[in-house]
Amino acid sequence: MSQGSSGELELRGLRKAYGSFNAVDGVDLRVREGEFVSLLGPSGCGKTTILRMVAGLIEPDSGQILLGGDDITRRAVHRRNVGLVFQSYALFPHLNVFENVAFGLRRRRVEGAELKTRVERFLGLVQLDRHGARYPRELSGGQQQRVALARALVTRPGLLLLDEPLSNLDALLRDEMRLELKRLQEELGTTTVFVTHDQAEALTLSDRIAVLSQGRIEQFDTPENVYGRPSTAFVAGFVGRPNLLEATVTGQSASSLLMRTAGGQDLAAATDARFSQGARVVVALRPERLRLSAKKDPEIANSVPVTVVFRAFSGASVQYVVGVNGGTEVQVEVPASAAIFQRGDALQLEIAAEDVIVLPSNRASP
Amino acid sequence: MMRWLDRSGFGLLSPSLMLLLGAFLAPLAFLVPVSFRPYVPGRGIGEGFTGEHYVRFFTDLYYLEIFGRTILLGAIVTTMTLLVGYPLAYFLARTKSRWRSWLTILVVFPLLLNLVVRTFGWIALLANRGLINETLSAVGLIEGPLRLMFNFTGLLIGLTHIFLPFMVLLLVSAIQTIDRSVEEAARVLGASWSETFLKVTLPLSTPGILSGSILVFVLTISALVTPRLLGGPTYKVMSTLIYEQFMSLLNWPRGSAMATILTVVAIAIIALSGRFARRFGAQ
Repeated sequence: MSQGSSGELELRGLRKAYGSFNAVDGVDLRVREGEFVSLLGPSGCGKTTILRMVAGLIEPDSGQILLGGDDITRRAVHRRNVGLVFQSYALFPHLNVFENVAFGLRRRRVEGAELKTRVERFLGLVQLDRHGARYPRELSGGQQQRVALARALVTRPGLLLLDEPLSNLDALLRDEMRLELKRLQEELGTTTVFVTHDQAEALTLSDRIAVLSQGRIEQFDTPENVYGRPSTAFVAGFVGRPNLLEATVTGQSASSLLMRTAGGQDLAAATDARFSQGARVVVALRPERLRLSAKKDPEIANSVPVTVVFRAFSGASVQYVVGVNGGTEVQVEVPASAAIFQRGDALQLEIAAEDVIVLPSNRASP
Repeated sequence: MMRWLDRSGFGLLSPSLMLLLGAFLAPLAFLVPVSFRPYVPGRGIGEGFTGEHYVRFFTDLYYLEIFGRTILLGAIVTTMTLLVGYPLAYFLARTKSRWRSWLTILVVFPLLLNLVVRTFGWIALLANRGLINETLSAVGLIEGPLRLMFNFTGLLIGLTHIFLPFMVLLLVSAIQTIDRSVEEAARVLGASWSETFLKVTLPLSTPGILSGSILVFVLTISALVTPRLLGGPTYKVMSTLIYEQFMSLLNWPRGSAMATILTVVAIAIIALSGRFARRFGAQ
């Protein structure tokens, strides 16, 4: 077994097409040793295909996969030494928990006392020490998930691949497992690639996130930057639920940009991105960065009169939908501790220039 | 009573239960008592109680040989259909070919032909002056004709062919229910293709292997038409023996005893396989 191939994962120009559909369309990615990277994107964006190519379950049309410097692109699945956790867990139904975890070790000719010690250590790590004799069908979803995790990690793979492992769990258990997964990954220091369509999972777990759309990487950056400085309108729209407005550039200085929205409102953004006069842009406004106040604050760059259309309380925060005079509706999220407004209240909608995200429009500029 | 029927679900089973009681248990209830009655030549079933038919069956070497031959035939036909059927079923369950449904129909097709017609087909092939022997001697591979009929070989070939579709159909559905990602998990964990097959695919197809084997075994030991045609008047198995007792010799008590023995064997095999299946944790 190639125990040496651990650590850094590198994808070079990876491609896979099904007929005329480009599932993965030239992906370059470098995951550092011990790093936790998420592949985030909607279904059909190619994230699972990338994962299965790395595992060796799908053969790429072209491109290279390097693990710890070794080219494993054409290496047989069972010689790659990677761990994979499936969305459906894929436990062996005819084997008990102990044998499920021992499976990979037995294939590596680990036997006797050593086998027992290693399996029990990993069952302990996922808090299933006393469940070794049970069968998968006798376990809850969360327990099955933990068996799958122990089974994938017990062989000390150079790389751990997770294919939406939390999506079959209910909400409460998912939060719990999310923390446990992160703890385990940090404890073992295994390089991890995590596929998900859930942006919240990606944001909490990852060191870096690769946002994918239509088989390409749109942005590969830290969670903070993917969220705060999205590089494309797609990323901005997929991570978080921002208000996206179309606007035209009306002027700019060294560090700020002036725009007019399609609804006729003027907006100032603090950005060093360069756009030509009259260029069409997309403005992303995060609901939690917007503020509502009863009277205008002269310190804030952008302020528009609005009326409350709808209000919904959700525990920690209150969601408002407000109508701007032009008819545009904007979503605002305010901490529950702030003042409560009623439907029909006339207010000022404010946002600081630093919080206005300006992105090139998807449509070609005229 | 009505509430018990509702709650236990037996109410839903009742139509099929009635049918089973009428068509299966009632003849048995008739058969068993008759098998303990003496046979009076010329009159048929006599008065009184006797175990002579059973004693005779288990002490007469002629009967024991036929009994042993029947069980052996069942075991070998089951093994043959399993060996030939598993690769075929595996292919049918896994192929992505657009011909798949046609191939499945091809497997089932023999079932659509009349049993007698199929058996006569085999006679045309296996007879002393049949297609196989004529071809082989024309090519010069054999001197005289091979004896392919009226013996074990003939029955084996004919019965394996006839029961193969049952085995394949049961295996296909068992293999299809295996979650592919479980096999992929084995591969990723370091199992080669053959290890994956032996440690995962094969154990997970045990329910299909068991049900297919039971079905083929029971059908083989009770098959009548094929053994009668391919075995001829002298080469007998249990079913042809029973048929002869009832229809030619009119010895109903002895025929009943033999039928009871065959039924007990079949039920015992089914019960044992059920326990075996549970032991091996087949879901």
